[in-house]
Amino acid sequence: MLDQLMKLPMCKGLSQGEATELASIARESQAKKGTVLFAQGAHGDSILVVLEGQIEVSMSGQTLAQVGEGSVLGEMSLLGEGGKRTATATVLSDARLLEIDAARFQELLKTSHLAALKVVANLAQVMSKRLLAMNEKLIEGNKGKKEELADFQKILSNWSF
Amino acid sequence: MTSAEATAHYFKKAARIMDVGERIETLLAAPLREVKVQVSIELDNGEIRTFDGYRVQHDNSRGPMKGGLRYHPEVDSDEVLSLASLMTWKTAVVNLPFGGAKGGIRVDPIGLSSKELERLTRKFVDQIQDIIGPTRDIPAPDVNTNPQVMAWIMDQYSKYHGHSPAVVTGKPIDLYGSRGREAATGRGLLYIAREIARDVGLPVKGTRFAVQGFGNVGSHAARLVHEDGGIIVAVSDVNGGVKNPKGLDVPALFDHARKTGSVKGFGGGVPCGSEELLTCDCDVLIPAALGSVLTRSVAAEVRAKIILEGANAPCTPEADEVFEKKGVLVVPDILANAGGVTVSYFEWVQNLQHVTWDEDRVNTELEKLMREAYERVANISRTRKLPLRTSAYVLAIGRVGKATVLRGI
Repeated sequence: MLDQLMKLPMCKGLSQGEATELASIARESQAKKGTVLFAQGAHGDSILVVLEGQIEVSMSGQTLAQVGEGSVLGEMSLLGEGGKRTATATVLSDARLLEIDAARFQELLKTSHLAALKVVANLAQVMSKRLLAMNEKLIEGNKGKKEELADFQKILSNWSF
Repeated sequence: MTSAEATAHYFKKAARIMDVGERIETLLAAPLREVKVQVSIELDNGEIRTFDGYRVQHDNSRGPMKGGLRYHPEVDSDEVLSLASLMTWKTAVVNLPFGGAKGGIRVDPIGLSSKELERLTRKFVDQIQDIIGPTRDIPAPDVNTNPQVMAWIMDQYSKYHGHSPAVVTGKPIDLYGSRGREAATGRGLLYIAREIARDVGLPVKGTRFAVQGFGNVGSHAARLVHEDGGIIVAVSDVNGGVKNPKGLDVPALFDHARKTGSVKGFGGGVPCGSEELLTCDCDVLIPAALGSVLTRSVAAEVRAKIILEGANAPCTPEADEVFEKKGVLVVPDILANAGGVTVSYFEWVQNLQHVTWDEDRVNTELEKLMREAYERVANISRTRKLPLRTSAYVLAIGRVGKATVLRGI
């Protein structure tokens, strides 16, 4: 479990000892195929790390992704912004998971625990990358709209009426 | 495929050849406004009856919307919408400053007295007077409506908005109607026949024509083609028809039709059924009666080299493909029978300017617009190697598209 934990992007830079401390607030669990780990709209108070198996992430009935070993679900809850789950996670094949309780993680953070601070810094990096990608997507999306009209104008002039 | 579905089919075919994209396609196909009203009147016997009335306004990017108003027991919103879009493309092909609309009342007018029809028409105007008008939407005669109905519309509309002859076209000559309006569609067909004759080297003079339908369109087309030296080898109407491979005596045929109400039984030829006419030996076929008469199987038997669509949608899309393979030239309805709406436009212009044109001027201007439209369509057909119908839709989509983009989406 420790090895798998240390391989996660959010645990980048953690020493063996720090990882062990993080593991101490984590709980390993098993989930059978078909289990709903959490549902969209439900209150989220923990982060889930997939150690084994396949999980489907869906939003309003539409599949967003299928994730496997090493993937992290619900990391926002660690930052105290848990709130409601934005998607539903369903187990596709029997899975082994690691659950980190958000409240206990917050306690570590309050005492300036190095492991917790490193995890937060890593999560911030992951999220800033996602934000960048989202921005690009948004710009791309707007460009697409403008081009649709421009393309039509081009077509009209190409056909020369 | 119904004739309503056919319009959408041809539009899509052209839009995809132009590759305008799905969203632009949706934007151009969707109607601006669909209105349904309940028209209640008291019949002569004191009974109260309620009828469904429709007006669909398809597109106004090129100007006020224009289209007929029909009284028919099978009128429904799908049919009216499709015909409204057909008007958008038709007015665009002839480059009139109009958009497209269509309307109707679901009623069998045969069962109504003249007084009941008048009440129905006036009541309908009461309910749509705020969405029609000389700068909004200008109705015209269609199936089972005539100049008298248009006169009632003008009168009723004017009670709300003041003297407004330009609110409707196809009015009686004595009440702001235009000279040349009655024969306009038939005359437009003749002008197109002349143009295509020049293109394929088959002058109207001496060419054999068969005309299905002897109403407002077919009768004038036959008369004018005959006057131009064409040979009318067959005509038919709802009651029957007549053919003569050497050519019918058209003035005598008109006398016969005036006396008996039909071309059936005319002595100058042998009887010929309406369907038989479509496959008779001729050079040019003018279907000027109903829609969907030329199906895939009939099309395979057609011997004409050129088809001028006098009616709306006489060829099914399947028949259209057969003709394309056989190399038969089909001049599509949105070009061939656009003479009617073109002279309607002239009527509107005269009404707005408070002037009256003589018939020569009407015909000269009509010839100019029909010729220009044909040249544009034929040019697209030549350069892009497309059938005339697709080319006409391409031209229409281009013109409507340009106006839409210039105004701003």
